[in-house]
Amino acid sequence: MDINRRKFLSALGSVTMGSVAYAATGSALAQTTEVGKPHWGMVVDLRKCIGCQACTVACVMENDVPEHAFRTHVSVYEVIKDGGDPAMVMLPRLCNHCDDPPCLPVCPVEATFKNPGTGEVLVDATRCVGCGYCVQACPYDARFINHRTQVADKCTFCIHRTSAGLLPACVETCVGGARNFGDLNNPQSAVSKLLAEHPVSVLRPEMHTHPNVRYIGLDEALNGRVAGEAAYRPPETTQVEEDA
Amino acid sequence: MDLQIHELVGATHDATWLPWAVQYFFLIGISATALLLSLPAFVLPRNRALSQGRLALMVAVTSGITGPVALLADLHQPLRFWHFYAYTHTTSWMAWGAWIVPLYVTFLVLFAWAVHRPALYARGKEAWRFAWLFRGLSLGGSANTFAPSLGIGAGIFALGVLTYTGAEVSVVAARPLWNTPFLPLQFLVTGLVGGLGVMLVLNRMLLDDLALERRMNHELSLVLAVAAASGAAWYVLALSGISPKHNAALASVAGFTVWRHIAGWGSFSVALVFAIAIIRPVGTGWLTGLVAILIAWMFRWIVFMGGQAVPKVGSGLYDSLVLASLESLMGVIGTFGLWIFLIIAYTTFVPWVEARPPHEREPDEALAHPQSSHS
Repeated sequence: MDINRRKFLSALGSVTMGSVAYAATGSALAQTTEVGKPHWGMVVDLRKCIGCQACTVACVMENDVPEHAFRTHVSVYEVIKDGGDPAMVMLPRLCNHCDDPPCLPVCPVEATFKNPGTGEVLVDATRCVGCGYCVQACPYDARFINHRTQVADKCTFCIHRTSAGLLPACVETCVGGARNFGDLNNPQSAVSKLLAEHPVSVLRPEMHTHPNVRYIGLDEALNGRVAGEAAYRPPETTQVEEDA
Repeated sequence: MDLQIHELVGATHDATWLPWAVQYFFLIGISATALLLSLPAFVLPRNRALSQGRLALMVAVTSGITGPVALLADLHQPLRFWHFYAYTHTTSWMAWGAWIVPLYVTFLVLFAWAVHRPALYARGKEAWRFAWLFRGLSLGGSANTFAPSLGIGAGIFALGVLTYTGAEVSVVAARPLWNTPFLPLQFLVTGLVGGLGVMLVLNRMLLDDLALERRMNHELSLVLAVAAASGAAWYVLALSGISPKHNAALASVAGFTVWRHIAGWGSFSVALVFAIAIIRPVGTGWLTGLVAILIAWMFRWIVFMGGQAVPKVGSGLYDSLVLASLESLMGVIGTFGLWIFLIIAYTTFVPWVEARPPHEREPDEALAHPQSSHS
């Protein structure tokens, strides 16, 4: 058996810490924490999304997202097939926390990194120079420069909540239960069960980024740049006062 | 299947690379190409190329200093620029650029100083109020045999600048308009167009050398022909489907009227300047020069601001193609202002018209003539 005393004690420590965390939280993510770190992912069941934007608002409130920017939002489309009745299609969008994120290699100062084990794509705000190269490289328009902090900003899968055993704010608040979050490594997690039971697809599969956000019921016409008429964007006639 | 889609709720995304980035890529492209154009005069050296070399060196230095200032302004955390050096991430072309650009500018300024050193020294030996300043600038000597070495170094880093700027943008797969192998070549060619344009205008303003104007108009027509050929090849590759990247780039903008207008006006401008430069290469430097500058600048504006106007996942176009805010306008004006200021300062204080290929002996009497360096 190739395990030494140091490794054994280290592993014992991890198990002990894990048990403490489990006992302390005993909550939404408890089912996911087994031995080793979870690999977080989200499965969005589009059949259940009603486009209420509760997730959008929850994210803004939870993460203090500034005006004119979103870490997540729900795009809403009217789709008419073969002249039939129009259908409303909702498409929640967020950082896909890719396993092969294009935003990562372009960062000139390694401020963007993938959290070891759990896999969230994160930004070290103390290191980021605000060059915006990662914003350009993201195929999902999921990043932006936060004009309050002047650094790159994005969804973190609410790491401050998940590390405390809570669900991301958008998942917690989802009215229809469309957003499902959990450990992709754990076959007993809700997301793994959904993945086992349903065919899923990802946004922009041609980019080969291996996203950890997957969709049930995603129409192929909506998985990339959506060819169609854009939503009306009123001219900005009023200046929003920052932190008024 | 007939499919109609209307976006009812969607988020817009502001451009992240602001007009300062356009200014940077415009100026550094002009600087690097102008530096390369100055090398025949001062490195090989060829006396026939001397007049053009002097202009080219002035353009290279002034735009080479202004460009990085614009780049720093585009950084949202400019005081953290040192992070580029403390945490260099070698997989990023931008990180390489952070090293290449200062080295380029350093070699460029040293090369210009070496080329001008004999004239600076000569000024320092004259009896006038600021002779001490020129003695200091010449470091008490006139030898500049090392100038070609510095020029070669600057030339290598200029190629580095052209390589990294092209690669930095063309590797962004998320933006189809940028993600084409032709883009670095197009930056190079339009950089040459812009550099020759500036030199044509400055020739009319400062030298009025008609032979030089004829020569530079011919050179401009040549690079415009290359620019047109690369544009045509880009379009053919995109239409034919031979290159999926070019095909995706064209598809990302093809359905929009504004982009058809851009393509039309761009082609017309190139054809117009090409025709004038061929038919009347003398006496048209103002026109061909100014339109050439506009072509080079507009190409970068359209690539950067137009590229960011194309949503990656949403529908329609964003508004970044148009200069929308006063802040952006001031950025453009301010950068050009700094550049013009540096050109005025250079032509006023640097004896640039006396620049000659390197020699070891002391400058002769003719070189020491105390005439003003600017016309």
